[in-house]
Amino acid sequence: MKKFSGSFAVSALVAAMSLSGVSQANVTDKDILQDQSTVEDVVSNGLGPRGQRYSPLDKINTNTVKDMRPVWSFSFGGEKQRGQESQPMVKDGVMYVTASYSRVFAVDTKTGDELWEYNARLPDGIMPCCDVINRGVALYDDLVIFGTLDAKLVALDAKTGKVKWKKTVADYKEGYSITAAPMIVNGKVITGVSGGEFGIVGKAEAYDAKTGKILWSRPTVEGHMGYIWKDGKKIENGISGGKPGQTWPGDLWKSGGAATWLGGTYDPDTNSVFIGTGNPAPWNSHMRPGDNLFSSSRLAIDPDTGKIKWHFQTTPHDGWDYDGVNELIAFDYKDGGKTVKAAATADRNGFMYVLNRTNGDFIRGFPFIDEINWAKGLDKNGRPIYNDEMRPGNPSASEDGKKGSSVHAVPAFLGGKNWMPMAYSQDTGLFYVPSNEWGMDIWNEPTAYKKGAAYLGAGFTIKPLSEDHIGVLRAMDPKTGKEVWRYQNFSPLWGGVLATAGNLVFIGTPEGYLKGFDAKTGEVKYQFNTGSGIVGSPITWEQDGEQFISVVSGWGGAVPLWGGEVAKRIKHLNQGGSIWTFKLPKS
Amino acid sequence: MRILLLLTVLTLSWAGAAQARYYDDVIASGVIHIGAYKDFPPYSFEKEGIPVGVDIEIGHRIAEAFGVKMEVHWITPDESLEDDLRNNVWKGHYLDKDENDPLAAKHLADVMMRVPYDREYAFKRDDQGLLINDQVVLFGPYQRERWQVAFDSEKLDRVGTVAVFQYHPIGVEIDSLPDFYLTSAFGGRMRKNTHHYFSNSEAFAAMQAGEVDAVMGMRAEVDWQIGQAGNPRYKLAENGFPTMGKQQWDIGMAVSQRYRQLGNEVDVVVERLIRSGEIEKIYARYNLRYELPGLYQDVAQ
Repeated sequence: MKKFSGSFAVSALVAAMSLSGVSQANVTDKDILQDQSTVEDVVSNGLGPRGQRYSPLDKINTNTVKDMRPVWSFSFGGEKQRGQESQPMVKDGVMYVTASYSRVFAVDTKTGDELWEYNARLPDGIMPCCDVINRGVALYDDLVIFGTLDAKLVALDAKTGKVKWKKTVADYKEGYSITAAPMIVNGKVITGVSGGEFGIVGKAEAYDAKTGKILWSRPTVEGHMGYIWKDGKKIENGISGGKPGQTWPGDLWKSGGAATWLGGTYDPDTNSVFIGTGNPAPWNSHMRPGDNLFSSSRLAIDPDTGKIKWHFQTTPHDGWDYDGVNELIAFDYKDGGKTVKAAATADRNGFMYVLNRTNGDFIRGFPFIDEINWAKGLDKNGRPIYNDEMRPGNPSASEDGKKGSSVHAVPAFLGGKNWMPMAYSQDTGLFYVPSNEWGMDIWNEPTAYKKGAAYLGAGFTIKPLSEDHIGVLRAMDPKTGKEVWRYQNFSPLWGGVLATAGNLVFIGTPEGYLKGFDAKTGEVKYQFNTGSGIVGSPITWEQDGEQFISVVSGWGGAVPLWGGEVAKRIKHLNQGGSIWTFKLPKS
Repeated sequence: MRILLLLTVLTLSWAGAAQARYYDDVIASGVIHIGAYKDFPPYSFEKEGIPVGVDIEIGHRIAEAFGVKMEVHWITPDESLEDDLRNNVWKGHYLDKDENDPLAAKHLADVMMRVPYDREYAFKRDDQGLLINDQVVLFGPYQRERWQVAFDSEKLDRVGTVAVFQYHPIGVEIDSLPDFYLTSAFGGRMRKNTHHYFSNSEAFAAMQAGEVDAVMGMRAEVDWQIGQAGNPRYKLAENGFPTMGKQQWDIGMAVSQRYRQLGNEVDVVVERLIRSGEIEKIYARYNLRYELPGLYQDVAQ
């Protein structure tokens, strides 16, 4: 494994200091809170703690974007080319970006020169549950902080890439991993965990960003004790949900899943961290009657204490693997002159929800995909009205050794929208939602084995619902639930969205294009092929009076892991691993 | 094209020891890599740093018959058998990479033990009609496996039927078929009493600690635990498992389909071990009951 020490570090330092004479200042809490309005840097995941992915920059706009061209491209190199889902960060002329297999790069934003590189040394024989992607770093003080496949938080020196501190968040041998970008809230680094079907329990944890000392830990399954650390002492901090066994049968709460694998957003207004939770375990819902809290939910957590303020469960008693991890984005809107403090999320289950972010109350919900068949709609509290015929089968129905009956559920478990973050434009008041139209045939598969033993697998195939598209980028009005425009893409969309004051919306496609759309009409204003599929999230910033746009290119992520009809649409797509940076020519 | 081909040939000859190989190459190298699950008593595990277990013993016999040394390729189980075959028999794991030698071949087993031998599984097709397991040959059944309950005789007089688990707690390995069965059969009436553990040995330890009154797992695992406990208090149950799908299955081996000949040679050795009663003796040494796989039972009849 490559190490960057000794002479490497020195040359990196020299290079870092020599770049375009920019002095490097440390990232403060204020920088992060104001990230959305300070256009010369990007120091938070989501271009601001709320994750709106909106920039007030407008030099690149619907009139000028046609002249936009790449200024540099940087390759991650090596053999490690699997799915680049990172969002880069920019501070004082340096870009900090992660790549697959727990790698971090620091790159000169003007030239694309590498300043340093960090390769996490992963344990031998590690079997990460959830692919080898990484979604980005957090910046704080002089530190670059990220999570690794073996479930550690690592803080690197922003100037040299050398390790300043390292903390184990969870044991990778028990099936835990970290792929999400950590977030910084008032000097704390807050992270979740990823995990497979091995009986893990999700949690959110806060560490002192400067020292790596743990501050609190909050399990996301009802019945587990939370903890807070005071003067180095671990103190009980209340059981999540009050007590075990209310919404789970038997001892299943002990291994209830609800992984917090996508991290969260932060709303300074209400001082709440919004974090989503994954599906309950075991996968088959017939084994665990009940709502199974707090699986497939959004939680509002107090960043100071780790207490759950409120929760909203999008898919109670989830039987389709509709993880509830998708980002909840705070925004305000006017309702008859009154300002509504709202937050919106587009769920894997196909419904978009607008919630009151002060208390989690349901305001409205509506489908954002053309077809949903697992539920007939939402009731007045936002709870789904199930279509019982579309619930995947009871294992006891397959216990005669026969294949259970197959259900065609829409959307597929990969979701109406998966991890890829949407954007909210403060100019148009619209959410730009990267969605996919697909269903799944799912059945209990008795001809299955695991570790030398007979097993009951879940058999499934994901099927497109249309000949000409799976992916749909939609402009959705959160006040009416109406779709304002759409762009249809042949293959599934798997990358994040960026909205700008230039009346533009950007997204990358698996076909490799970075595309720019008119935010009001959806007209395609720009496209450039980056040479491999894009599954990362674009950013924009300003340097020396010029607006830049960057996106990571490198096809992969969860879609290619599944076969069937969808595989046919994507099998020709090539892997890669590079950053592309664009700007307008100097006039 | 030529350069590419040359590179491939070079790579193959270089790192011949690491990847799965042809029979002749195995013999010439003097070593056979036997794939076995890690920490999986009584099948394959380490005792004071030495690999032991019935699968390891059989591996030794294969190596002996070939006149080569055995090396264990330890397998960390993934979510399904397909994953284990891909990671360990025909393709290798995507994290098995050497930064300093990017052309190095992946670490694979020449022969993988404890692979279920099931024609229906071997010939399973995907929704496009293609064979799912066409990269491997599944062969050489050497044992029949079943489910088994053990119970604490101070808590239960006997386990005549699984109905007692409506009233008595029972431990199972999480995400296993016994887990599915006990939490969903008979309308879920045994669900509340089903306790989950990360392994069968943890479930058994929980029974010894008085947390559960019984455990359910694979027969050999349960036999092994009873033998290890050495306490007549823990007994084998004689109940059946009504409505449960797969109650018995055969265990064999796998090789990459490219090395079919190696599979054939291994098959000959293992068949001899079965017919001579050698395998039964190996099982007996670990206090395990031995049942012939279906293929041999049919021939006997």
